[in-house]
Amino acid sequence: MKRVVVIVMCLMLLLCVNSLVAAKTLKIGTLSPLTGPYAQDGTDIKQGVLTAVEVFGKLEGYDKVEVIPGDSACDGGKATMAANKLINSGVKIVIGAYCSSATEPAQIPLMEAKIVQITPASTNERLSAKGYKYFFRMPPRDDVQAWSTIEFLEKKLKAKTIALIDDKQTYTAGLTENIKKFAEKNNIVKIAAHEHITAGDSDFTAVLTKIKKINPDVVYMSVYQPEASKMIRQVRKLDMKSAFMSEDAVFHPKFLEVGGEATEGVYLTFAKAPDTPERKAFEETYKKKWKADSIGSYAFYAYDAGMIALAAVKKGGTAEGDALQKALRENTWQGVTGEIKFDDKGDRKLAHIVWIVKDNKYVPYWDPLTGKDL
Amino acid sequence: MDTSSFILQQIVNAIFLGSIYALIALGYTMVYGIIELINFAHGELFTAGAFIGVIVLTGLQSFGFVESHFVISMFIVFGLAMAYVAVLGVAVEHVAYKPLRDSSRLAALLSALGMSIFLSNGMMLSQGVSDRAYPPVFGVEGINIGGAIITNGQIFIVLLAVAMMIALQLFVHRTRLGKAMRATAQNRTMARMLGIDIDQTIRITFMIGPALGAAAGVMVGLHYGAVRFDMGFIFMIKAFAAAILGGIGSIPGAMIGGLIIGGIEVFWAAFLPSAWKDVTTFTVLILVLYLKPSGLLGESESEVRV
Repeated sequence: MKRVVVIVMCLMLLLCVNSLVAAKTLKIGTLSPLTGPYAQDGTDIKQGVLTAVEVFGKLEGYDKVEVIPGDSACDGGKATMAANKLINSGVKIVIGAYCSSATEPAQIPLMEAKIVQITPASTNERLSAKGYKYFFRMPPRDDVQAWSTIEFLEKKLKAKTIALIDDKQTYTAGLTENIKKFAEKNNIVKIAAHEHITAGDSDFTAVLTKIKKINPDVVYMSVYQPEASKMIRQVRKLDMKSAFMSEDAVFHPKFLEVGGEATEGVYLTFAKAPDTPERKAFEETYKKKWKADSIGSYAFYAYDAGMIALAAVKKGGTAEGDALQKALRENTWQGVTGEIKFDDKGDRKLAHIVWIVKDNKYVPYWDPLTGKDL
Repeated sequence: MDTSSFILQQIVNAIFLGSIYALIALGYTMVYGIIELINFAHGELFTAGAFIGVIVLTGLQSFGFVESHFVISMFIVFGLAMAYVAVLGVAVEHVAYKPLRDSSRLAALLSALGMSIFLSNGMMLSQGVSDRAYPPVFGVEGINIGGAIITNGQIFIVLLAVAMMIALQLFVHRTRLGKAMRATAQNRTMARMLGIDIDQTIRITFMIGPALGAAAGVMVGLHYGAVRFDMGFIFMIKAFAAAILGGIGSIPGAMIGGLIIGGIEVFWAAFLPSAWKDVTTFTVLILVLYLKPSGLLGESESEVRV
C-alpha cells in the first residue's frame, strides 16, 4: 500500500514538473459560425486567423501560438457559451464573432474577463457604443455604411424611392433602421416599402412581387449572403426593373458563384481594398494554404486582426488585457485592409466605397467621400 | 403592374412553393400512414437528393451533355437522385426503425431524431458547410400570362411534381402493392394474417416517400440555385406542417396541405406585414388542429384502427 502511495506521489510530482517546464503558449480564440447557414464566413474567419499565426511566425517570449476555434453559430446563446469555453481554456485574445447578434451577448463574459476582443465582421454600431475598452472592430460601422448608401442613392443614382428588405436580425434590421434614419433626415429618397423575410428561407417571391408592384427606383437587400444569392435569382425571374443594392455581408465570392448572371449590375457597399504587395502576398499564401480559388471578404479582416494582435503582444511584451488594449490603441498598424488606427471606442477610420458587379466580378464604382467615379 | 396581374403572380408563386411542400409532405404522410412514425430524417433525405442532383448535374454539364440532351439529362439527374435516396431510405428504415418496430413510439421517434442529426452531420462533413451552386439549367425565359411571369423552369417543375403525385395516387389505388400498402396501414396484424409481406411493404414505402423527397430536393436546387447541408430543416418544418394540416396519413391531404401552407405564406406576405409570415403559417396549423384534430382529410384514429 505504501509503495502505491509513493508511486502515485511521484507521478503527481512528475505532472507538476511537466507543467512547470511546459511550453509557454499564447492562446488565441476565434469566435465565428462554423456550423449553420453562415458557416462559410465563419470558416473564412478561422482560416484568416490561422494564416496570420503562420505568417507571423515566432512570437518572442512564447514558444508557441495556438488558435482555439469557437463556434458562435450566429446565435447569441451559443456564442456566449463558446466565449465562456474559450475563457476557460485560457485564451488571451478572441477574434470574432461574425453576426452582430452573436457578438453582442458574447461581449459580456469577454469584457468581464478582460480579454481583448477584435471583431473582424460585426458592424452594428451598438457594439462599440457600450464603453468596453477591450473591444475592437475591423470593418466600418453600419451607420457609416448607411450614410454611404444614402449618399450614393441621392447623388449618383438620383433615386427617388427605395424599398428595404431585411431578415429581422440585429445586423440586418439595424442597417435598415440606419438607412431609414438618414433617408428621413435628408428627405430626398422616400422609403416606399419595408419588407421582411426569414433567414434560412429559399422562396422570396411573395415579397419581391409586392415590391415589383410598387416599382421603386432601388431595392435594398439587407440580408446575409446565402439569402441574397437566392433572392437575386428570383428578382431576375420576376423581371423586376428596379436597381438592386446590398451590403458588406453579401460582398462574398459565393454571391457571384451562386447568383451567377443574375448578380450583374448589383451595387454593394464594402470598404476599399488597398492594392498593396502585402495584400497580394496574403492572397497567394491563403489560396495555397487552404486550396481555395477565391477568398471570403472577412478572411482579410480576420487575418489583419490576427496580425495586429500578435504584433501588439510583441510590442507590449505581454498579452495581459489592459496592456494589450493600450498597445493596440496607441499604435498605427499597416494591414491588408489598409491602415489600422483605432479610436477610443475601438473603431477604425475606414469608409465604404460602392462596388458594382460586372462580368461576375466586384468592380469599384463610386466613392461617397469624394463623390467621384472610381 | 396592376392588381390583377399582381394577384395572378402571387398565385403562381403560391402554387410553385406549395407543390414543393406537397411533394416533401408526401414522404411524411406515407411513412406515418404505414408505421405511425414521424420520420424526422425525411428533411435530410430531401437534402441528400439535392446533393446527388448537383453532383450528377455538374458532372453532366462538364461535358456539355445538358445542352445537347436536355430531357435525357433531367431523366438521369432525377433518376439517380431518387434511386440513391430510395436506397438510403430503406437503409435508414433497416437501421433505425425496424429494430424498434414493436417498441414504444417514443423510442422510434428518438431514433428518427438521431438519424436526422447523423445524416445532417454526415452531409456537412462530406459536402462542406457552404452553399453549393446548382448549374443554371433554366434561365429567366418564361411566358407572360396577363402580367404574371412563369419561367420555363417553374412550368417544368410544377408539371413534374403533379405527374409524380398522380402516379403515386394511381400506384396506391390501382396496383396490388398499393393495395397491400393500404391494408398494412389500416391493420398490420390483419394484413399479415392475409399473407401480405409486411416487411416488404414497409420497405417499399420507405423507397417511394424518400424518393419523392429527393425529387423535391433536386427541384429546389434547380429553381433556387443552391443547396446546403442544413437546408432540409426549414423545408421539413413547413412540409411537416402541411402533412399535419392535410391530415397525417392521408396522401391527398398532404397535397392539399402543401398547397395551403404555400398559399398562406405567399398571400400573407403579399397583403399583410411580411414580418409575421411564419407566425401565421403555424397559427393556421394550430387553429385547424384545434377545430379538427385529425387534419383536413385525416381519418380519426377510431375509424381506422381496430
